[in-house]
Amino acid sequence: MLTVSGLSVSYGGLHAIVDASLAVGEGEFVTIVGPNGAGKTTLLRAIGGGVAPAAGRIEYRGADIGALRAHARARLGIAHVPEGRRVFPSMSVLENLEMGSFRPAARPQRAESLDVVYALFPVLRERRTQLAGSLSGGEQQMLAIGRALMARPDLLLLDEPSQGLGPRVVELIFEAIAAIRRARRLTILLVEQRVVEALELCDRGYVLETGRVVLVGERDTLLADPRVQHAYLGT
Amino acid sequence: MRRLLPMALVVLLGVAVAFALGERYHHRIFTLVLVWATMGLAWNIISGYAGQTSFGHQAFFGIGAYVTVLLVVTARLSPWLGMLVGALAAVLAAVLIGLPTFRLAGIYFALATLAYPLIFRIVMDYLGYQEVSIPMVRDRPAAFMQFGDPRVYDLLALAALAGTLLLSDWIEGSRLGYALRALRANEQAAEAAGVDTFRAKMLAYMLSAAPAAVIGAIYAHAILFVVTPEAVFGVLVIVQTLVVCLVGGIGSKWGPLIGAVIMVPLSETLDATVGDRLPGIQGVVYGAALVVVTLFAPEGIYWRLHALRRRRPVGERAPAMAKPHAVAAPPGRASAAPGGTLLEVAGVSRAFLGLHALDDVSFTVRTGEVLGVIGPNGAGKTTLFNVLNGFLGPDAGDVRYRGESIVGLRPSAVCRRGIGRTFQVVRTFPQLTVLDNVMVGAFAHERATAAARERALAALETVGLTSRADDVPSGLTTLDLRLMELARCLASVPELILLDEPLAGLSRDGVETMAALVRRLRESGVTVVIIEHTMYAVVPLVDRLVVLDHGRRIAEGAPNDVVRDPTVIEAYLGKRWLRHADGLRA
Amino acid sequence: MAAADLAQYVVTGLLVGGVYALMSIGLALIFGVMRVVNFAQGDFMMLGMYVTYFLALAGVDPLLGALVVIPPFFLLGVLVHRTLLVHVTGGGDAQRLMDAQLILTLGLSLIVTNGATMLLTPMPRGIRTAYATHAFAVGGLLLNQARSYAFAMALVLAAGVYVFLTRTDLGKALRAAADDPEAAAYQGIDVRAMHGLAFGVGIALVAAAGGLLATYHPIEPTVAVNFIVLMFVAVVLGGLGSIPGAFAGGLLIGLVQSLTLLVLPFQLQNVGVFVTFLLVLYLRPQGLFGRRLRAV
Repeated sequence: MLTVSGLSVSYGGLHAIVDASLAVGEGEFVTIVGPNGAGKTTLLRAIGGGVAPAAGRIEYRGADIGALRAHARARLGIAHVPEGRRVFPSMSVLENLEMGSFRPAARPQRAESLDVVYALFPVLRERRTQLAGSLSGGEQQMLAIGRALMARPDLLLLDEPSQGLGPRVVELIFEAIAAIRRARRLTILLVEQRVVEALELCDRGYVLETGRVVLVGERDTLLADPRVQHAYLGT
Repeated sequence: MRRLLPMALVVLLGVAVAFALGERYHHRIFTLVLVWATMGLAWNIISGYAGQTSFGHQAFFGIGAYVTVLLVVTARLSPWLGMLVGALAAVLAAVLIGLPTFRLAGIYFALATLAYPLIFRIVMDYLGYQEVSIPMVRDRPAAFMQFGDPRVYDLLALAALAGTLLLSDWIEGSRLGYALRALRANEQAAEAAGVDTFRAKMLAYMLSAAPAAVIGAIYAHAILFVVTPEAVFGVLVIVQTLVVCLVGGIGSKWGPLIGAVIMVPLSETLDATVGDRLPGIQGVVYGAALVVVTLFAPEGIYWRLHALRRRRPVGERAPAMAKPHAVAAPPGRASAAPGGTLLEVAGVSRAFLGLHALDDVSFTVRTGEVLGVIGPNGAGKTTLFNVLNGFLGPDAGDVRYRGESIVGLRPSAVCRRGIGRTFQVVRTFPQLTVLDNVMVGAFAHERATAAARERALAALETVGLTSRADDVPSGLTTLDLRLMELARCLASVPELILLDEPLAGLSRDGVETMAALVRRLRESGVTVVIIEHTMYAVVPLVDRLVVLDHGRRIAEGAPNDVVRDPTVIEAYLGKRWLRHADGLRA
Repeated sequence: MAAADLAQYVVTGLLVGGVYALMSIGLALIFGVMRVVNFAQGDFMMLGMYVTYFLALAGVDPLLGALVVIPPFFLLGVLVHRTLLVHVTGGGDAQRLMDAQLILTLGLSLIVTNGATMLLTPMPRGIRTAYATHAFAVGGLLLNQARSYAFAMALVLAAGVYVFLTRTDLGKALRAAADDPEAAAYQGIDVRAMHGLAFGVGIALVAAAGGLLATYHPIEPTVAVNFIVLMFVAVVLGGLGSIPGAFAGGLLIGLVQSLTLLVLPFQLQNVGVFVTFLLVLYLRPQGLFGRRLRAV
């Protein structure tokens, strides 16, 4: 469904991603783990259209989408939950969710999507009139994920959903991701620092270290591979 | 002296033109060229070199004109003296305006500068100075800047231009010039490299107000004869200034001159030929010039030519990385005893919007060691550096360097005390060459340009970047950029260096090079604190590790112990991994 | 007696402030979405005044004329964005871009002001309406009829903008693009198109405000100079980019102008405004009402 080949991204003279390749099959759940600074977020932004790569090819359903701007990629059904949540702070929770279904393909089913999201995150229904900027970090993360689901996407890009959150909220978020996965056979590409939680959810994983893919494998292989810890702690 | 030659030629050419021109009208145009070139140069000091876009520089032009003329009218003071009083008044006004305004950044500065000439205009109107004529002085006209011969006005304006050119030339080559270009490119990096940016901006503002006032006074006597608020504080004054600078090119002493030579005769001629039928033609031409320049040649004519001249064939270059040399011990500073406490962080907390970026963090840095600070994303590492080098004040706690608190010092002052830093994403001064970038740091302790150059070259040699001295940063590799930033830091003769992820974005070879350099620094007696994620490199490199998580210090000790500490593994990989890893081992 | 005077000044100030508020929300919308300070905003207002004037010559009541100018000026704004501003917005060195934007819109402003002088002559013109010289008497207060109508229409138009921004998908997309352009793009919102929309709406609003102003203010090519600064002040007072803030800022300026007359002579009327402006810049750069900078 998604094929990235030979991707390099640099900004300010720094090479954030060097010659990275990965593939995500239809209906597959792929996780990218790696310590911070490894370039995980940059990789995801390049796929979503937030940064322009210096080299490489990004294909979505067989078509090269490298030349498309971010909004056009979103309209193809790629929903991106960006790092740091990035909710619209001066807009209400409901308005944020409505913006999720801005793309014409998702607009007619707005009401149903809203029910789905509220069922997944009941707290969003309670807070629907509140400004998104006033939510707690965990609630903002739920909103960001809910907003992406409102787009009825075919491919969901999740960037560090656990970042900066307390352990209990992290658990909740990962449970929600698992639930999303169970309910709809969505194709998911998840980027995470938390190795076990992220790997346990996925079918296949990649380990990124300083801009390069250093390890690829099935979930259980990776979970048993001591080189994963090495990538993080050098031991 | 060779530097002065082009300026001497300009003056000679100016004199020749003044004597070659016949018609009074042509003299008028020539005087106007010189006036707007001078005014452009004055504006260029604050808005070009220092990059603080001012839309209110006509305030000083008008002050010069009004003060001089009012002194003639009320006190019969010769404008030759009045001009100086006007310049002084303008400098004073610059200080009064600058004090509050330089605390504002970017768009706010530009907006604030708009207000001042408007206020002056209204006040002049109110005080009854809507039209102030310069009284004819028949007995001693020369003493009152009144001449029948238009050539004298040409020469007068030429003298002002020459003076402002000299001033600009001096700034370009001086410590101040380096400071201004650095802060224009990146104010924070400039501060971290030891530039007191507030002081530099203020100096530049004062130096740009004086010539604006002088040329305003000359304009009043040579062209206006009747001073009105509209004529000296009005929008057209700043527009003409902007036009000559933008067309000619900002940030160089030649830009405004080139712009004036092209734009002033063009608009004056148009005004004279079709101005009667089309009263706004001058404004339309200026407006069109601004639009066209912004869209098609935003750098201006001078820089276009400059780029053409510099486009020489790229020759074979020596590989950027020579063997790092030993670092000369920082002179002029009693070195602390190795092993003693150099820096003490005591109970530092810092919150953003209720989020604790740093929560009661304490540790010490010992003289001569390499201390690693690690931790997962959002652990507060960069915030810690920002507190240490003065970008942020702590909410609670203290930072003591050599026993003295450095809390509350400007980053530039912290740098001059001997704490240098680099940034996670390299912060260069893109328009400056590699050598000039490093010289900015060298000026932290050197006043003279030659000495700073010497020190900068030595620092480049230390990091092995000598062959790149004349290149601009945009052509450098990640490693070379990191080395350049380190050289800039070394040039300020630090005793303690804060390295923020110096290995990020480097290849394995690059990591080795940088790590070797850090070891050499330690051997030469420099203390290093390093934030890093590349664990395989950092563990063998450091003497001790401090681990932060969620703003708290969770571990401290020998690197090999720390990375096996369950608390640390948990922070990095989660509790589950810990259990999981135990399971694997079992 | 003094209290009645004060009330009269307050009412007069608010009436004028209503039109200031309308012109300022256009500028605030453009800044909020595009981060562009548009120096040419006043010149589009001037053009709006002239179009309303010529419509009035053709028999269209200026209050209606102020509405008629909205669609063509919207298109003009979109066109100006397409041809000019698109080159200096979106991506790149922020400081350089900001300078380029300021210079570009300043150039545009010069062309429009002086082009109008060339084509329409510097002669001031005015629209004569029956209501310009009449006043409503309300409980001892005199309300100039032209200003009252203009105020009411400004209020209606501002309310229309508010409804557009809070009740329609397009309006919400505009706010989303202002809040976080990258996140907005990830929702399928074309941020560049939102810039065009914001510029078009911003220009249409200021032109409409010009039409309303034309009912009681002389029309000349250089009229923009006085108003562009007032708009800047209103927008800064309201917190750069906030639309309700700019609206309140506009009302406040009308008040300050009017109340300045109580203590200072007429010529110094705007000194009060500029001093307020500088004080707010120095003491509360986030605006009188705003807590955050990035909010529409």
